Amino acid sequence: MTDVITVDKLAKSFGPVAAVRGVSFSVRQGEVFGILGPNGAGKTTTMECIEGLQKPTSGHTLILGIDTHREPEKVKERIGVQLQASAYFDHLTLREILELFGSFYSRSLLSDELLSKVSLQEKANTTVARLSGGQKQRFTIAATLVNDPEVVFLDEPTTGLDPQARRSLWEFIQSIHEEGRTVVLTTHYMEEAEFLCQRVAIMDQGQVVALDTPTNLVRSLPVPYQVKVIAQSDALGRGLEALDSVKAVRRAEDGTFYLSSSDATHTLPALMEWAHQTGTRLEYLEVLPANLEDVFLSLTGRELRD
Amino acid sequence: MLLRLLIANLKMIARDRQALFWALVFPLIFVVVFGLFRLDQPPTLHIGIVDHAQDSLSRALVQNLGQIGTFDTKEWEDEAKARQDVKDGKLDYLLIFPEGMAARMTESPPATITLVYDRTIITSAAVVAAIQRFLDQVNMNLAHAPSLLALDEQGVQSRQLSYFDFLLPGFVGMGVMTFSIIGVASTMALYREKKILRRILATPLPVRTFFAAHVLAQLFLSLAQAAIILAAGILLFGGTVVGNYLYIALLVLLGNLAFLNLGFLVGAIAKTVNAANGLGNAVTVPMMFFSGVFFPTEELPKVLAVAVRYLPLSPMLKALRGVALEARPFWDFPQELAILGAWIVVTSFLAARFFHFDR
Repeated sequence: MTDVITVDKLAKSFGPVAAVRGVSFSVRQGEVFGILGPNGAGKTTTMECIEGLQKPTSGHTLILGIDTHREPEKVKERIGVQLQASAYFDHLTLREILELFGSFYSRSLLSDELLSKVSLQEKANTTVARLSGGQKQRFTIAATLVNDPEVVFLDEPTTGLDPQARRSLWEFIQSIHEEGRTVVLTTHYMEEAEFLCQRVAIMDQGQVVALDTPTNLVRSLPVPYQVKVIAQSDALGRGLEALDSVKAVRRAEDGTFYLSSSDATHTLPALMEWAHQTGTRLEYLEVLPANLEDVFLSLTGRELRD
Repeated sequence: MLLRLLIANLKMIARDRQALFWALVFPLIFVVVFGLFRLDQPPTLHIGIVDHAQDSLSRALVQNLGQIGTFDTKEWEDEAKARQDVKDGKLDYLLIFPEGMAARMTESPPATITLVYDRTIITSAAVVAAIQRFLDQVNMNLAHAPSLLALDEQGVQSRQLSYFDFLLPGFVGMGVMTFSIIGVASTMALYREKKILRRILATPLPVRTFFAAHVLAQLFLSLAQAAIILAAGILLFGGTVVGNYLYIALLVLLGNLAFLNLGFLVGAIAKTVNAANGLGNAVTVPMMFFSGVFFPTEELPKVLAVAVRYLPLSPMLKALRGVALEARPFWDFPQELAILGAWIVVTSFLAARFFHFDR
């Protein structure tokens, strides 16, 4: 697999504030690459430096072998960019906007074709203001495809959407991927990264702290399992830490216990034995694989969303 | 690419109600208001007369006064009631002829005619002077004094121009100014707020093409705007324009270049749409009053009069009036053109320096 994006020791400072501090990674042909991190981690700045919208303080970014900052026009011709929370002209219809943006490129897709891709063909003659949140977001992503780009950048594409609209947008992003385009997206939703991305870079405080497939990232955790336990007993909570392979115990606000386990096959029999001995009746038991949220927690000691 | 963007810009402005307000409604309000209330035509003056004399002289005076066009005379019996009406503002002027006027004609002191009027009426000084002049004339005629000097009134302009004619080019300049400065400033602030400028920057469209299309659309619309304002003034309210319309168009475009740059500059400084509107008004409203839209700037205190000559709207209006009202060619105004040119150069530089796509 060839690399379509190369980021080499990228750094960007705004005055005394270092937003991105020496980031290097590459994105492979045809993959969906996620940049996951909390607000302020430097995701957007990294992405905008790659797109050529921001000038890096140091380092290089290449797209399709072209230096983004030496030949920006050449790069822009071949990429599609969706900006976080950006809007389009208020007084143009969807079709007019797509045709206008299409005219900025040497080649462009038909606006009706693009609109039918996001099921907005019936809205072709209305303005963006009349679209719902989900429709708006679908339209802005459709607009990034107007030049039939090889690489598509999406900055927090589903932020602010309800779960149903988010799900439908995921399917659309997957269809973009299936057309053979490379997709780079930022998100602070770990479910989104897990669902869509082949590989994920986890960013925190301007640095990439981990980069791998979601599965490998989770597997690399010292505690890849969570055992969820609901039970009514005063005894519960005492002695749980001592169970086989349990590394940590967390009690959620609703009283549910989460046991971080390095090996669930050892922890579960021990838990049963413990319940029998203490006379505790277990009401609910579930073994969960750890997720990217846990990866982030273990890497940074902080929650992804705070 | 440029053409498509130009058409899109024209469409957007035409569909934008706020832009249309500044472009047309705002200046047309002024045209209509000043067209309907013809301030330059002296209103009819209501003059009450109490004639205690009732002799040949007083009757002749009453008759002669009644024949003056702008005087509407009415005789009163009761002097006290007439005086009260002046006090109450029901009557503008009251002339009282004393008894035995004709008989005292040759006596000294002569008969005294009393004029009662309300000092708060702004035109009263002129009216008092007019009545005084009328009486002087009568005096001289009665004394059979020969007229030693005659006044031949010759207006400077060959054509009769009204205050409305003076205002009309002012409204064109004012309309173009507010539309360009406030329109461009708020649009650019909106584009920045909604990250539209940034989104455009992510495409291969050259930045200069984007601005060129916007400027061209605004220039084109300012011509349409000027045409509509002039047409409304001329066709609906009988305004007069005697100059060359091509020269007027040239001056509109030239002035508008300075205004557009100012619009981009205001849009660069203002961070939000509201701030852009406010700042735009802060720039345009003083210019509206100090650049001579409503009154000649020569009437301002001297220091101010000199200073306001250098506001961008002032030279534009001076040249516009010269072309429109005196049928002079636009090159008759080298100083005005130089001031405008300087504004265009300086504001181009400043706008290019301070206007950022994403900050």
